[in-house]
Amino acid sequence: MALSLQFAVSTPRQASLEISKLTPGYIASSLSLRSPSASSLHSLGTSSGIAGAVKKSSRRWRAAKTVAMAAAANEVSNRKVLIVNTNSGGHAVIGFWLAKDLVAAGHEVTVMTVGEESSDKMKKPPFSRFSELRDLGVSTVWGDPKDVGAAVGGKSFHAVLDNNGKDLDAVKPVVDWAKSQGVEQFLFISSAGIYKTSDEPPHVEGDPVKVDAGHVGVEDYISKSAFKFWSSFRPQYMTGSGNNKDCEEWFFDRIVRDKPVPIPSPGIQVTNIAHVSDLSSMITLAIGKPSASNATIFNAVSDRAVTFDGLVRLCARAAAKEAKIVHYDAKALGIDAKKAFPFRNMHFYAEPRAAKEKLGWTSSTNLSEALKERYEEYIKIGRDKKDIKFEIDDTILSKVG
Amino acid sequence: MAGRLVSDFTHNGLIGNHQCRNPWHRRPQGVVTTKASLGAPERAKKILMMGGSRFIGVYLARTLVKAGHEVSLFTRGKTPITQQLAGESNEAYAEYQLRVKHIQGDRQDFEALKSKIGEAGFEVVYDINGREAAEVEPIVDALPDLQQYIYCSSAGVYLKSDLLPHFEVDAVDPKSRHKGKLDTESLLQDKGVTWTSIRPVYIYGPLNYNPVEEWFFHRLKAGRPIPVPGSGLQITQLGHVKDLADAFVKVMDNPKAFNQVFNISGSKYVTFDGIARACAKAGGFPDPEIVHYNPKNFDFGKKKAFPLRDQHFFASIDKAKQELDWTPRFNLVDGLRDSYELDFGRGKFRKEADFSTDEMILSAGRVHARV
Repeated sequence: MALSLQFAVSTPRQASLEISKLTPGYIASSLSLRSPSASSLHSLGTSSGIAGAVKKSSRRWRAAKTVAMAAAANEVSNRKVLIVNTNSGGHAVIGFWLAKDLVAAGHEVTVMTVGEESSDKMKKPPFSRFSELRDLGVSTVWGDPKDVGAAVGGKSFHAVLDNNGKDLDAVKPVVDWAKSQGVEQFLFISSAGIYKTSDEPPHVEGDPVKVDAGHVGVEDYISKSAFKFWSSFRPQYMTGSGNNKDCEEWFFDRIVRDKPVPIPSPGIQVTNIAHVSDLSSMITLAIGKPSASNATIFNAVSDRAVTFDGLVRLCARAAAKEAKIVHYDAKALGIDAKKAFPFRNMHFYAEPRAAKEKLGWTSSTNLSEALKERYEEYIKIGRDKKDIKFEIDDTILSKVG
Repeated sequence: MAGRLVSDFTHNGLIGNHQCRNPWHRRPQGVVTTKASLGAPERAKKILMMGGSRFIGVYLARTLVKAGHEVSLFTRGKTPITQQLAGESNEAYAEYQLRVKHIQGDRQDFEALKSKIGEAGFEVVYDINGREAAEVEPIVDALPDLQQYIYCSSAGVYLKSDLLPHFEVDAVDPKSRHKGKLDTESLLQDKGVTWTSIRPVYIYGPLNYNPVEEWFFHRLKAGRPIPVPGSGLQITQLGHVKDLADAFVKVMDNPKAFNQVFNISGSKYVTFDGIARACAKAGGFPDPEIVHYNPKNFDFGKKKAFPLRDQHFFASIDKAKQELDWTPRFNLVDGLRDSYELDFGRGKFRKEADFSTDEMILSAGRVHARV
C-alpha cells in the first residue's frame, strides 16, 4: 500500500517533527481522521496477547525512517567521521551498524578497531562481517587508541566517536588527539549503568550518576575539552545482527532445549533492550545535527521497558515454543545473580527523552520482531544443536526443588 | 512564555497559567510562533462541564473562569458546587462563586439533560464524569454549536502488556473495567464531532476522593508499618491534579489535540515501595517500615488491602509534552507535599482510616511475608 502524506513544512524543526511522525502508529491515528469507523480508532487486543500489545513497525519503515530523518533534518552533510571501536563486548556491534547508517546518510566513514586485524577476536561478529562495510566504501583500519594518528594515516575528520573506552585512561588519548587535530565534534559511548538507583524510574538524562564511575570522568573531560560540539550516549542492552555478546541467546539456549528458565524473583524487574539500529539512528542524527545535539547527554536506548518474565515470554513466542519460568531468590539460595543471569538483578530502565526532544528521534525497536529475526539466525548457525552445560541453572533448580 | 497569572491555590504565590490559543498563528515570512498566546483568550468560550465539583473540575473550572470563559457545571447538586480551597483568598473565592454557573440535573435522564443544555449555545464540553457511551450521545446530539468534546478517559483502557510504558497507539482491552470509556471514545469518533480524550493514570492532589496518597498518609500518621503486596517493585505513576487541569486547558481549541488521545500523568514513574517513601518525605515523616506480603495467602473479602492495582501500570506522556507544549510542574515528592499541606496535613480526608486488612497481614507474621 503506497502512502503519500503531505506536510505543510516551513521550518527545519517542523520538518523534523513531521518526519518523526513517520511511525505506523502516528500514521494509523491520522488515517483514522479520514475513515470515521470505530475500529480504526482503537487497536483492540485480547487478553492472550500479554507479551506485546504494541503496534508493529517493520524493517521497511525502520530503514526508510532512518534515511528520511537524516536527510530532511540535517544541519550538516558529507561529514568525515571516525569511529574508534572496541574489539569485543556488548558495544562492539554499535560501530558496525552506525557505519552503515552514516554511509546511508551521505557521510564518509572510517572505522578504527582497537588491536590488530590478525587477532582471534576479529573472527567473531561483527568484525567477521567487515567486508560488508568495505563494500559500502567504509575504510576499516586497526590500531591503538594511544596513537590514533598512526592508524588513520593522517586523515582528518569532522567528527570522532569513541566507542571503546570505559575510563579516562582509555579515552583521554583519543580526546587529546582529536582536539589537536581540530576535530569539531566529539561523541562518546558511555553507559546507562552509571545512573544511581532510584525509587522513580526511568533514568532520565540529568539524573544523578555515580560520580566515581569511569564513564562519568570521561564525559566530564570531554565536556571541558572545548570541542565545538560534543555528545555522550548512554546505552543499556542491545540486540541485533552482528552482536559480539550474548543477549537473547541466553533465553533461546534454554527454551529451545525445553529447559526451565530460572529468573531471579520476582520476575517483574524491568530492563531496556534496544535494537542496535535505535542507537545507530540516534547517533547518525546527532552527527547530522551537531548544534541540536551539542553539550547533550543522550540515553541510547529504546523507549520501552520489558520485564524479565516478559522477555522469557517474547523469546518463547519467537521460538514458537512454551517456556517454563522458575523464580528463585538469589540471595537466599546463595546464588551469584551476576553469573546466573545476563541482566542486572534490579529495575534498570532508562528512557531516550533527550533524543526525542532535541533530535526529533523516534524509536523503531520492535522487540517481538527483533527476537524473531534473532531466533532465525540462532537456528541458522546451528546454535540450538550446540552442547551447552547449564551448571548454575542445575544448582538453582535443585535448590528450589 | 508568559500567561495570565493565576493563584495556584497555595499561599505560596503565583504560577503562570499557560494558555494555548491558536497555535498555528503565523507571522509574516513564514516565521512560526507555535504557541503565541498571551493573556486572555481571543474569544471567551461557553463551556459545559459534566461533573466538576469534586476534584479535577474544581481546579479546571477555576482556571477556565479566571481565563475569562463562561463555565457551567452540570451536577446533581448533591454536594455544594463550589468550595473554598485551602490557601484561596476570600476575594478570589467570592469572584469564582459569582461567575461559575450551575445546571442542576441527572445526566442519566437523557431527555431532561438535552432540554437543560440545548438552548445555551455551548461550544466546548468537558466531560469529567462520563462513564458510558450512552451518556455522551445525548449531549453531542443536543449541542449544534459544539466545537470540541473533551473527555476524561483513563489509562486503564490499555491492554496489559509486558512492554511498557503504554503509548497512545497501544492496544486497548475491550474487556477492561473501563470499557465504557473506550466505547465513548469510539462514539465520539463515529459522531464526527471534534473530540479529545485524556487518559490519566493515578491522579493525586488536594481533595482527592480516591484514597491514593490518603491511604499512605493515614498509616504514616498513625506510625504504622505500610503493608505492600508482593515485592513492592511494581511500577506505577501518579499525576498531580493541577497538572492534569493544565493539560485539559491546553487541549481546548488546539488543532494539535483534535481527534487525539493523550496520556497525562507525572513525568517519572514510581515503585510501590517508592510511593511509601515519597509520602513519608512529603509529610515530614521518618522513613517508613514496609511489610511485604503475598496477597494470595489472604482473603480480604470485599476490602481493598492496597489502593493500587497489583501490576506494572504506567504510560508515556511524551506525546502530550511534544504536541501540547505541556509538562508536569510537580515532581512526586513536591506534589505529595502540596497534597499533604493543603489537605491531609490540615486534618482533612475523605475516608476514615481502616487498618483491618493491615492487622490481618501483620498478625500473619513476617514469616509468611516472603514472596
